[in-house]
Amino acid sequence: MFISLQLLHMSVFSQSFSPCGRFLAAGNNYGEIAVFSLSAALSPDASEASQKPILNFTAHDGPVFSLLSTDTHLLSAGNGEISAWSWAELIKKVRISCSVNDNSLIVGGGDNNIHIMDMETGIFKSVLKGHTDYIHCLCFKEREEEILSGGEDGAVRIWDARTNRPVHCIEVFKYEECARPQFGKWISCLATDSDWMLCGGGPSLSLWHLRSMSPTSVFPLPGCQREAVFYQDLIMSVGEGPHVSHCLHGGTVKAQIPCTPSSLNTLALNLKNSEHRVMTVGGSSHQIDVFTNFSYRAFSLSF
Amino acid sequence: MSKCTWESESNHGRIHQSLEWLPQQLFHEVIRKRLLIDGDGAGDDRRINVLMKSFTKWCHSNFSPEEGFSQYQRMLTTLAQCEFSMGKTLLVYDMNLKEMENYEAIYADIERSITSAHEKIAECKKEIQRAKRIRKNRQEYDALARVIKQHPDRHETLKQLEALDKELQQLSHIKENVEDKLELRKKQFHVLLTTIQELQQTLENDEKMESDDTQESSMENGD
Repeated sequence: MFISLQLLHMSVFSQSFSPCGRFLAAGNNYGEIAVFSLSAALSPDASEASQKPILNFTAHDGPVFSLLSTDTHLLSAGNGEISAWSWAELIKKVRISCSVNDNSLIVGGGDNNIHIMDMETGIFKSVLKGHTDYIHCLCFKEREEEILSGGEDGAVRIWDARTNRPVHCIEVFKYEECARPQFGKWISCLATDSDWMLCGGGPSLSLWHLRSMSPTSVFPLPGCQREAVFYQDLIMSVGEGPHVSHCLHGGTVKAQIPCTPSSLNTLALNLKNSEHRVMTVGGSSHQIDVFTNFSYRAFSLSF
Repeated sequence: MSKCTWESESNHGRIHQSLEWLPQQLFHEVIRKRLLIDGDGAGDDRRINVLMKSFTKWCHSNFSPEEGFSQYQRMLTTLAQCEFSMGKTLLVYDMNLKEMENYEAIYADIERSITSAHEKIAECKKEIQRAKRIRKNRQEYDALARVIKQHPDRHETLKQLEALDKELQQLSHIKENVEDKLELRKKQFHVLLTTIQELQQTLENDEKMESDDTQESSMENGD
């Protein structure tokens, strides 16, 4: 009885694929991280058992809001601490969101600052100050070595990674075509594709051209979007509402694929492994939907 | 040396009688071969045996010429039947060989079409990727174009700038002219004023000289 209640109230907040692409780690609001084997779940003779985690452990006291995979480790972040777990062993240890660049880990925290930490030594190298409220999301532009950060204060700030100085600041809620004052001004998802940037949250999900710093398309999606990614010629986003939206760069919503959770928090694409190329989404449900063909739901993994 | 339980009834007795004394494996081998050749027991094998038996009987027995002749005819027919069935079997064998060749050819054909279909699929996949990239680029272009359209036309703005430039030039020209005139007038007035002053000075000097003169003359007269 207790377990079914627990399952009912479970929300999946974060996901990450292993460096080889054969495993998926998902973190939920109880602080547990479950590791699923994708090769077992995707094989032709998959059964009910293969849709359960192969390993389930409690990582943090609070919810696991963010998961990130490096080449050898899985980093998980909860309320105020970051633990690293070795993928090789699959065992073993602030309201944060992370992004990895070379050997440094970029961490955006609840203290309104972005900290850059050296992965080898664990020492914090520098701090980027500028946001006036806590940070929700981070992403990194490899070509120009810039960090983009978005937070509760509604501003997307662009920092130069080499000199650690702010380059630009875009206040999305000030643009009329994007702003949705009924939802607020917070930015909860950021994605970048060299010259283009997606950002959404309180304001509508919009595609920005970074060189001219202007919004080019606004997507007419009803709820607040929690995560969005660029994939080939499409933009996929998840948020409030039990579906994954496929959109085109022009601003049209091409398709909305229904999923089991009633509202989605996280979307992950496994591009590292060509055999297990799947998309997984998780949200306010104990089930994680797996899409092998991105147009429809194949099956669900369950905590 | 076990009893066999084969279904074939007519062969059963004969095989059992003639092969009891053989060892186990050979027994089974022979059974298998016999059944393969003539499993139903109503055919060629029996006919050949019958022919052999009747031939030996015909050779050794003393028949009347008619009976011997009829027996001979019967043996000829049996021989003909045997030859017929042999011919049939040969034809069937040939047919099977040709069928095999045919199937091999079809198999090779299908293999080839499978590989070509695979290649076509790979090609199409590449095409799709290219088309997706093109679509993405087109979308980005359209999005940028929309933003650009919102801004006023470049030619318009250039023309406005040119007009403004001209106005500016004209105005500065006028300003220069006015300034020149101002300078000129200033100089003229200066000349005028200095001339007046000099004249005044000269007049004063004249007056002074006149009054000096009269004073001198009155002094001379008074002596």
